[in-house]
Amino acid sequence: MGSGRWSTNVYDAAARFRAATGASAFAYSDSGAAHTHPDLDPHGVPVRESRDSADHPRSVAIAVLFDVTGSMRAVPRVLQAKLPQLLGLLLRKGYVADPQIMFGAIGDATCDRAPLQVGQFESDNRMDDDLGRILLEGGGGGQKTESYELALYFMARHTETDCYGKRGRRGYLFIIGDELAYSRVKPAEVRQVIGDELGQPLPVAGLVAEVTAKWDTYYILPAGASYVGDTQVLGFWRDLLGQNVIELSDLDAVCETIALTVGLGEDAISLDDGLADLSDVGSAAGPAVSKALAVIGAGSARLELAAPPDDLDGASGNRRL
Amino acid sequence: MGYRHRIVCGLGFGDEGKGSVTDYLCSQDSADPAHAVVRFNGGAQAAHNVVTADGRHHTFAQFGSGSFTPGVRTHLSRFMLVDPLALAAESAHLASVGVGDALGRLSIDRDALLTTPYHRAANRAREKARGQDRHGSCGMGIGETARYALENPGDAPRAADCSAPRTLARKLARLRDRLAAELGPLDAPGVPDVCDAYRAFAACVALVDSGYLRRLMRAGPVVFEGAQGVLLDEWRGFHPYTTWSTTTFANAETLLAEAGETAIRLGVVRSYLTRHGPGPFVTEDLTLELPEPHNRHGDWQGTFRAGHLDAVALRYAIEIAGGVDALAVTHLDTAARSPLRLCRSYQAGGQRLTRIAPGPERDLQWQERLTRMLLRTRPVYEDPGRDWAGVIEETLGAPVALRSYGPVRGDIRLAGKTLQSAS
Repeated sequence: MGSGRWSTNVYDAAARFRAATGASAFAYSDSGAAHTHPDLDPHGVPVRESRDSADHPRSVAIAVLFDVTGSMRAVPRVLQAKLPQLLGLLLRKGYVADPQIMFGAIGDATCDRAPLQVGQFESDNRMDDDLGRILLEGGGGGQKTESYELALYFMARHTETDCYGKRGRRGYLFIIGDELAYSRVKPAEVRQVIGDELGQPLPVAGLVAEVTAKWDTYYILPAGASYVGDTQVLGFWRDLLGQNVIELSDLDAVCETIALTVGLGEDAISLDDGLADLSDVGSAAGPAVSKALAVIGAGSARLELAAPPDDLDGASGNRRL
Repeated sequence: MGYRHRIVCGLGFGDEGKGSVTDYLCSQDSADPAHAVVRFNGGAQAAHNVVTADGRHHTFAQFGSGSFTPGVRTHLSRFMLVDPLALAAESAHLASVGVGDALGRLSIDRDALLTTPYHRAANRAREKARGQDRHGSCGMGIGETARYALENPGDAPRAADCSAPRTLARKLARLRDRLAAELGPLDAPGVPDVCDAYRAFAACVALVDSGYLRRLMRAGPVVFEGAQGVLLDEWRGFHPYTTWSTTTFANAETLLAEAGETAIRLGVVRSYLTRHGPGPFVTEDLTLELPEPHNRHGDWQGTFRAGHLDAVALRYAIEIAGGVDALAVTHLDTAARSPLRLCRSYQAGGQRLTRIAPGPERDLQWQERLTRMLLRTRPVYEDPGRDWAGVIEETLGAPVALRSYGPVRGDIRLAGKTLQSAS
């Protein structure tokens, strides 16, 4: 027993929690690491796989990649602290029965130490370990442009999912950032970062078509980043992804927004139910989310294949690469 | 075969030394160092003192007492009453004594109840109204939290609400209004300020689902750190001088069973007995002057009291706790240099009594009669001789696995086989 020695002053507590936010989730960065963690290094990775297993017979792949360059300011730290709640949220709300989540990060290949970091797809909280290993760049080129195209290239050509391969249903890809992609994927960067040999540069528009064939792809522009509300950035991504561009005015609602998007895509909820969930967490993201998702709600944006492609043979479980 | 988990419960009225025992079990000195501490009862009123070999001291209230060992995690289970505001101050003090990442090592079950400034204000208003008849409450709102949740289960604020601001604001306003209607205006901050702090709290700790604890136990050995003491148990203690909490192994065993795991049950006793505040204390001795650096007179709990080892009460504690696998005996250094005696029987109403028989389950009238009887009871003392640990082992009928001769980790010594390495 005792007498409660620790102060319960509400203002001191709020200030202390704010000062502590995310400080610990970034253990790898804060330990002084200067290179991509080996578990997240995309170089030489044939594919990242999301596979069905006995415990998770109908896996749904969900990839969340976020910009970790300086323009994002404190946003990556908040994301690193928040995103561990995504799995529990998806399961608790019943939005999807067998989610497999992968986290990754996007930097700038022209100047950063870690232009691309990609974790593994996991069905339990192990992907949170990947999250903690993400190296925060804080650099970037100051050109309002980061290497999103490298991430799109990896997702297009170095991922395999059973949800798509066996059932013809796309996984979900969320890119959280505030800048433009470079207009082309450059062979030299692909060789250096991923290890592939490209004969010639690939225009980003063609790459987006490759990615969206197997990934239902969303761009989220969060509050708190440098280019929040920037019409050039929003216009750039809307040209590529149409309505799948979400302006997130409340960073605290990032997990709810992702979960709601997936829940709608899986027909697990109605838009109204999902918006009520969002509203309950105090998020003002509802209008933006509903606009972005209304098309899916009507069932017209979902790409359904009559038969799965025959070049993918689904092994069971996650293969650690 | 899984890892060897351990449950640490105090067998007295609190202050047995659960903190130093938990610290030891998480350290590299232990045979199977635990990688996490799980709290399974009580709340922020716990005060478990740990002193490191280099002299750093912290009174653990909500963080696990293993936190001085780098990397050791704390999990607050759904049985814990969580006080987010006190966690902030406690983590700040931990940072000042070299544990800078305590919040990062903390996980909290989403279903855990929250103790709020409104519970605390109501607690104090009620204790003040009671005047001289105070029950030894800590003034932290623990009882109010438990009471409100029993009466309003759907409206009681829980950890998960901290990341759902509208639900949180609604529940806090309702809580404040109901308590104020009963007790008059409460001396507490406004709902928006509390919401603000709780949202900041949710942003920097891991609020986890029920499956998390199972994964934690599969990843390595865990210590379940009990708060308070078995003799303060809400149902089996000396009513009404008890706490609003199950202080036996029961909650820990429930969590273990849900995860399909088992644990060694470790009961902690001092070589003498202490108690904060009023209530039966048969072996109390006002002439005893024992060193007590970290326990002092609490504004809300009353005096810190000391007395001789009461084997009758401790055997009752072991019986109502459902038995122990081993004992940890602390403060053996004090026993070696103080005139401490041993009580193995009581004199009550002209009769010699060697056992307090447990009454029917959940019968507070029975417990109250027991309290009245104990208040009229006198101790019968014996000379314990020199071998305190041996006497305690024999008298309480369980092997002594740890002996502690001082406040720091290096003062704890392994004894017997129970906690030796399995390999």
